[in-house]
Amino acid sequence: MDLDLFLLFLQQGIASGLVSGSVYALLALSIVMIFKTSEVPNFAAGEMFMAAGYVALYLLVFRDTPVYLAIPITLVASFVAAALFRRGVLTQVARASGSPVNLVIATLGLSYILKGLVRRTGFGDTPRTFPALVSNESVMIGQASVTRLDIAIFLTAIAVMAAVFALFAYTKIGRSMRAVGMNPKAAQLMGVDIQRTHMLVWGLSAVVSAIAALLISPKILMTAEMGGIVTLAFAAAIVGGFSSLPGAVVGGFVIGVVENLVGLFISSRAIVVAPFVVIMLVLILRPQGLFGGKFAIKKV
Amino acid sequence: MVRILAAVAAVGLLALLPSFTSGYVVYLANLLLTFTVLCLGLHIVIGEAGQFSLAHAAFYGIGIYVAGYCTTSLGLPFPLSMLIAGIAAALIGVVIGMLALRMRDIYLALATFAFGEAMQWVFLNWKDVTGGPNGFRIAPAQLFGWQIVTDKDAFHTVLVSAVLMLGLTIVISRARIGRSFRALRESEIAAQAMGIPVQRAKLSAFALSAFFAGVAGGMFTLFSTYIHPDSLGFSTTILVLTMVVVGGLGSIGGAVGGAIVFGLISELLRQAPSWQEIAYGLVLVIFMMYAPRGLFAFLGDLFRRKPAGSA
Repeated sequence: MDLDLFLLFLQQGIASGLVSGSVYALLALSIVMIFKTSEVPNFAAGEMFMAAGYVALYLLVFRDTPVYLAIPITLVASFVAAALFRRGVLTQVARASGSPVNLVIATLGLSYILKGLVRRTGFGDTPRTFPALVSNESVMIGQASVTRLDIAIFLTAIAVMAAVFALFAYTKIGRSMRAVGMNPKAAQLMGVDIQRTHMLVWGLSAVVSAIAALLISPKILMTAEMGGIVTLAFAAAIVGGFSSLPGAVVGGFVIGVVENLVGLFISSRAIVVAPFVVIMLVLILRPQGLFGGKFAIKKV
Repeated sequence: MVRILAAVAAVGLLALLPSFTSGYVVYLANLLLTFTVLCLGLHIVIGEAGQFSLAHAAFYGIGIYVAGYCTTSLGLPFPLSMLIAGIAAALIGVVIGMLALRMRDIYLALATFAFGEAMQWVFLNWKDVTGGPNGFRIAPAQLFGWQIVTDKDAFHTVLVSAVLMLGLTIVISRARIGRSFRALRESEIAAQAMGIPVQRAKLSAFALSAFFAGVAGGMFTLFSTYIHPDSLGFSTTILVLTMVVVGGLGSIGGAVGGAIVFGLISELLRQAPSWQEIAYGLVLVIFMMYAPRGLFAFLGDLFRRKPAGSA
């Protein structure tokens, strides 16, 4: 491979990787947010993302709802549904047994319910696309070709990430979320309403993943299986250390770029396996992830 | 003693099954027995040793392909194919067990999940051995000229294998190694302080669990003639996990009962995949909410008129 072609592939791979990576990063962020506050890896994240995509599809395509209404309705519906799941179901699961494994299994249950419900509606039977909100004209960045839609996806994702960081770093709600993650009992003694904080975290996480769904849906064919993309978000979260918000973002971009470079330089058939190789390497060489702190040993 | 007699009677009744039912019922019984062995395997690693493994379908797949290859291409007698399948899965299980030496809980769950996905990719792409997306046709199993062709032919062999594996699970659970698994589950540090070789216990838990899955794969090749990588993915792992959890995590009876009850639900709803998914999901969520120790512990509490969760 000569140098020019190599540089072209490199630029294209990085540009496309940053675009798909920004969506993985958003999803990883939504997973890590919940994990940080309750130590529960949300295995329903992919299906929450998928369900939000279908709510928007239903509103935009089947109901002809204008965009400025459809997007807020989707986000609010995601927020409310996730907060209610946390309050109605997970609270009871935690009360029935303290084991975090049971919470994880309850999220698996939710993922099946959502997938089944979307299939029942029948919209998931045929792959559909979403009307693009931004034109699909291509733009050159260096030698890489991307579409306007790609740029819009990337910029929106960055804006959402910035908003999430600001929320966690500077607002009272964000501080109470971090406090609950560090030590729920102490947080409660300081006057944090734990129940409410958990509901807010779940709601917020659902909103972030709904935004990811709105961004990616015009680019892919929607099916009831599209939640499978969450595997890559989990990969991103692991690479980033699983409990670090910046880690999740960096992990998302790493996975996106690796995936695209592998596709261009090695083989498009190797794309599927590349993220797993990355996860395995990271877990073997640096089990706490790139941004994770030292492992704390649990007391007996 | 009563329990042993009841178990013998149940197995005896099961053995008579093919003489008075149709082929489909026998096929279903074969499948449920295979899932029972899969559940016993997952029970050992999660229920007894407390190590989270989400790669069970991968080991099952390894078992199916290894046993299928031995039978189809090498023409080995089936007990040998099944044994080789179990051992092959166990060897890979040791490698995955090494991950468990370095990480725990969620990280282990995710690493094994990644391994499971990677293995499914291998099944899909290693066309020479697995047939890739076209699937793999398994020749009828044979032993010294006796060929197993129908479900009814296979049933008794499958039943005997399942009973043997169940016996093995009980032996493991009562033996020193089973006690060391449970010590490991309760507290790794306390187990280590009591002189239990924690590392070896973890590796053996993964190896045994994979061995069971591999043998289950071998059992599958006895009565089935076709396998496609799509049925060896994460959803199969979750199905087995659901069975173990719904039956009651940590009890052998729970693993067996869960496999049978949940296997029946999933087979009855096979025609309506969306209802099947909704039913799985609701069962999982409701059990986690109201009967976290599983169906059998829940029923036991109910009949003893004790408030659930007081034991």
